[in-house]
Amino acid sequence: MVELNLEHIYKKYDNADDYSVTDFNLDIKDQEFIVFVGPSGCGKSTTLRMIAGLEDITKGDLKIDGNVVNDEAPKDRDIAMVFQTYALYPHMTVFDNMAFGLKLRKYSKDEIDKRVHHAADILGLEEYLERKPAALSGGQRQRVALGRAIVRDAPIFLMDEPLSNLDAKLRVAMRAQIAKLHQDLKTTTIYVTHDQTEAMTMADRIVVMKDGKVQQIGTPQEVYDQPTNVFVGGFIGAPAMNFFNVTLDQGYIYDEGKNFNLKVPEGCLKILESKGYEQKKLVFGIRPEDMHTEQAFIETFPDSIVSATVSVSELLGAESQLYSKVGETEFVCKVDARDFVQPGTKVTMGVDLNKAHFFDPETENSVY
Amino acid sequence: MAEKIHTKGKSSIKRSRFIKYFLTYLFMLLLSLVIIYPLLITVMTAFKNSDVVAFTLSFQGPWTLKNFQDLFMTTLYGKWYWNTLVISVATMVIQVAVVTLAGYTYSRYSFAGKKWSLTFFLVVQMVPTMAALTAFYVLGMLLNGLDHYWFLTLIYIGGGIPMNTWLMKGYFDTVPYDFDESAKLDGAGNFTIFWKIVMPLVKPMIAVQALWAFMGPFGDFMTARYLLREESNLTVAVGLQQFISDPKDQQVALFAAGAILIALPICALFFYLQKYFVTGLTAGGAKG
Repeated sequence: MVELNLEHIYKKYDNADDYSVTDFNLDIKDQEFIVFVGPSGCGKSTTLRMIAGLEDITKGDLKIDGNVVNDEAPKDRDIAMVFQTYALYPHMTVFDNMAFGLKLRKYSKDEIDKRVHHAADILGLEEYLERKPAALSGGQRQRVALGRAIVRDAPIFLMDEPLSNLDAKLRVAMRAQIAKLHQDLKTTTIYVTHDQTEAMTMADRIVVMKDGKVQQIGTPQEVYDQPTNVFVGGFIGAPAMNFFNVTLDQGYIYDEGKNFNLKVPEGCLKILESKGYEQKKLVFGIRPEDMHTEQAFIETFPDSIVSATVSVSELLGAESQLYSKVGETEFVCKVDARDFVQPGTKVTMGVDLNKAHFFDPETENSVY
Repeated sequence: MAEKIHTKGKSSIKRSRFIKYFLTYLFMLLLSLVIIYPLLITVMTAFKNSDVVAFTLSFQGPWTLKNFQDLFMTTLYGKWYWNTLVISVATMVIQVAVVTLAGYTYSRYSFAGKKWSLTFFLVVQMVPTMAALTAFYVLGMLLNGLDHYWFLTLIYIGGGIPMNTWLMKGYFDTVPYDFDESAKLDGAGNFTIFWKIVMPLVKPMIAVQALWAFMGPFGDFMTARYLLREESNLTVAVGLQQFISDPKDQQVALFAAGAILIALPICALFFYLQKYFVTGLTAGGAKG
């Protein structure tokens, strides 16, 4: 059982003017798989390193099982970490790499042997135990790095972009392996990535960060369905959410050049009106998969239609992505592979406004 | 037509490759001559009768081992040799220890005056030893260190620290910091990280440092000449010079024999350390 509380955590580097991490609050429950996601330099790795004890905490409290551990050395926090660069000791064999932490903690030889072989078994590393890291492939090295964390049997795993150095195929395979590992070991895990797919597929809860600030904390579904602001909406989901600057006018939204005029559903409209957005500007967000080219949809919702010329079209096998422009705004629409069209074709697209997101153009926060 | 051009191209590639190799080997041959010629003279002379008067290359006998015998029987060579060994080993051990720790500290820790002192090192090592000789002498007098090994050893060590600390720091910098952090989380303290993780990865540089520090006292003439007085206290370089310092009675054969023996411990150390002279120790540990 382990619980982790981050309470009003701030981080400012010595030579920096601004805070790298600002007012980070998060309660992590036992066995949870938490993913910090955000663009480069958003403070996600810094936060992870503060939890590990590799960086000082400028302000705020980090609690493990209720005890403030701000000033505890990394080795006393009993945390295992997997580094982006693997950080395997190059002069030691795979076995010694995994055994190093156990030896330092004075485990008996038999116990070390048992644990290392157990971990090697889980990760399929048995036959490589006597090899040095240089003689391993990237995927194998990554597994050794995981093994080093597993043998420790530490209550908390930290992973700092562990898959970013692997090729695309291996990354998918390792993603599944890490997810399975977590199901088996149930170790509380904090995982840092800039890849929203990793975040969506692995996390129990996602923490979306930007510029050192937490933007949203929630389950993958929550973050995907109810993004709190424009940034989260645009960051989570691939391809990214489309945004249009629109004005609300008597139940309809239109863009600046009045290229489209879409009917807002009842429930949504009531909320927007009650918040005083009638005749006001809004940011209208719609996911590429919520735009359709099927004739049936277009006929059913004649009030939800956008016409545009496709500039780039990508066939991805099962689906195709059509890139187009209305006015000055570019957007992408994800449709069935059968609806693939050549670039230059004029296409009518139906917008599923029941899935629409609205944001305030000033604050960029979600209003619906 | 096309084929003709093709073969022509082929032969010109062959020719340019030939020229490339020819020039490379020619250069290496010249270099070897420059190195081997004086060495050969010394080796030849060492095994000749003591009536040889000048360094010339000649392969004519008679050959003898008498010079080596004389060195140890009639001169103080044995004593000088021992003196030098003591100084060399002490210099090597202390200098490597100091420089390794200093290099590690400069590479891994930040502290007040770090940048300033590194710049200071850089400036200090630009001053040639010769310019400092008088200062060394005065220092020796003040500390009562003239004609004492410990003082000469300290001078050698001190002279080697600035430059070699820089080199060591540079080498430590090539060991990714991720290893340290990974070890920290594995439960290692500062000393364990240094000893078990980082040190093994800088062995090549430590080996080079050891060899250099060991060779220094064997090759140094000037500082030893200045700071050592008593004939029985000399190092080999200074001692040997005495054999040929009298223009009317140059003991060339004896000098050559003594010079060759100097190479022995250095060669031995080199071959012992050779296994550490490898590159790419950090390969495979970190990718990024």
